Amino acid sequence: MAQRVPASEWPDQPEIYFPQAPVPGKWRMSIGAVFTTTPPELTEEIRVSVPAIDFNLQRGLTKHLFAVSRLQTQIVQSNLMLGLRWATPLTDRLYLAAGYDLTGWFGALQIKDVFNSQAYGVQSFPNLSVGYRLTRDLELTVKAEAIMDLYYRSKVGNLAVVYDRRQVNGVAFTFMLEQPFYNNRHVSVGFRAAYSNFNWQLWSLYDTFDRNLLYPQLIFGFIL
Amino acid sequence: MSLLLLLLVGCQKDYEAPVPYTFTNKPGAGKFTPAIRRAMEGVYRVTDGAGLFGDQVALKWTYTNEGTDTTHYLSVFTGLDAGFFNLEINAKTDSLAMAGYWRKLVNTRTGLARLAVRVRHSGRLQAFTGSLVEGDTLVMEGMYGENSTQPTQKLTLAYSRPLNRRPFSIMAHRSGGRTSDLLPASENSVEIIKLASRLGATGIEIDVRYTKDGVPILYHDNTLNLRLVQKNGLAGPVENYTYQQLSSLIRLINGEKIPTLEEALETVVNNTSLEFVWLDTKYIGPMDKVQAIQQKYRQKAILARRNLRIVIGLPSTDAVESYKALSDKENTPILCELDTSITRNLNARIWAPRWTLGPQTEEVKAMQAEGRTVFVWTLDEPEFIREFIAENSFDGILSNYSPVVAYYHYVDQ
Repeated sequence: MAQRVPASEWPDQPEIYFPQAPVPGKWRMSIGAVFTTTPPELTEEIRVSVPAIDFNLQRGLTKHLFAVSRLQTQIVQSNLMLGLRWATPLTDRLYLAAGYDLTGWFGALQIKDVFNSQAYGVQSFPNLSVGYRLTRDLELTVKAEAIMDLYYRSKVGNLAVVYDRRQVNGVAFTFMLEQPFYNNRHVSVGFRAAYSNFNWQLWSLYDTFDRNLLYPQLIFGFIL
Repeated sequence: MSLLLLLLVGCQKDYEAPVPYTFTNKPGAGKFTPAIRRAMEGVYRVTDGAGLFGDQVALKWTYTNEGTDTTHYLSVFTGLDAGFFNLEINAKTDSLAMAGYWRKLVNTRTGLARLAVRVRHSGRLQAFTGSLVEGDTLVMEGMYGENSTQPTQKLTLAYSRPLNRRPFSIMAHRSGGRTSDLLPASENSVEIIKLASRLGATGIEIDVRYTKDGVPILYHDNTLNLRLVQKNGLAGPVENYTYQQLSSLIRLINGEKIPTLEEALETVVNNTSLEFVWLDTKYIGPMDKVQAIQQKYRQKAILARRNLRIVIGLPSTDAVESYKALSDKENTPILCELDTSITRNLNARIWAPRWTLGPQTEEVKAMQAEGRTVFVWTLDEPEFIREFIAENSFDGILSNYSPVVAYYHYVDQ
């Protein structure tokens, strides 16, 4: 029955990833978790998948422009992203957004006889998202990001190293479904594959390879 | 979603860095007399090739023994991307020439290289005959290429100063280097032990485990896995298999057998110039067999007039308990990776904290004042290697990147 209603008349759905700007002045947010699997090149026989708490907050600025922010934290290390998106519908069902995100990450490990280390850095993520409304309440978003390193500083004891060369670190692709979950609650659930030379969550492994490694991530968030 | 993951994993680049040069490993030094080899060692300014290899490099001769035969190799340690050259004497020419390959450990870049020894005398380059007069400068002139293509790029190194002679232990992790760094031999193999000094190491750390029938062997991981061994159908801990089973059914990733601890130490004593072996205790249980082997090969080293220390590493409280359970601790040097109080309590002559704790200058100096040696492990980050060496407080560094440690140590002034 619902399928007979043209897509142009479908009601707006709660969304975080779908490339559609919120109504100007309106907030939207989500909370969830990101599970990142560590590449075997770095952790060898050990597979670690430590969840990060993932909080998104967005606000509509104009009909097409909206501000985005995201906090991911694993307590000992966190990542704060701020960015802008410009979104536009291409058809009744197909949407497009271009954005630019800037992230700052920070990690500190103080473990007796093991770590006395801190690190922080800045990265930027120019990105492009394409969204398709599969049904009136199921949305698919495919997002591509370039990962750019801007700054890195690490400290062990009283020694520090700094890398401030600006370079392309890698790329990431996200496939995200947004749909009803229960009791009018909607969720974002998807997968992100970053193919990059550095991942902030693994700063403490001090990866020395000048090679892009695959960092698969499972993302789950309740849209609030 | 799984299909997507499979697709992404399937599209991943397969990293390889095959050595483009086939070594003849011909014994002898040819025209490279001891005096010439001594004169050649030093820090050189890179005048052609600096873009790829950095502004300066360190040249160091190493050798391996096979019975009464000695084969000499020249290593060049560069300051960029954990780069190094491995060169052998080119016996085909009647000049002082070497041939081999270069490699960058942080990535897969590699290529062929050729060098000849010249001397700049009164502003002119000429053949080096073995003697230098005031004002002469040694110059290594040659070519390098990428991958297996014939070298066409100019490479010129001009002698600038002697190597830093401060005593310092450059210890290679996992018997010489990690399998994941795409070296020509597998980690914890006899073959990588023979390569270790050519990669800059003066000592090695090896991972010791027991087979099901109690044979001490070299293996790092808790289980047999495709990271370290070729596909074989076996799985689970190495401790579940007898030595016979491992020896006949398992091959390391580059085709080598898993060596016994005795085979490894036999290689160190008979075939290398390595001065230090750190036996990392990866097993839980009695230490007596390892102690017996340590003492046996210490005696062999003394008889062979080899300056070699073989030390049992204690990385955990379990290992400490195994050590404490030994009935006789005489002639059993240990290295303690735990804190200073445990190290003192055990009266370990060597303390080895993790590098991620920082320089810990006060503790290091206090331990050294008590006559202890202090190493740091496992430090691979090149900039931190440079800083730790500049701090000038540690007696040695354990690293997967011994060429980097060698470079920063030898160029340090």
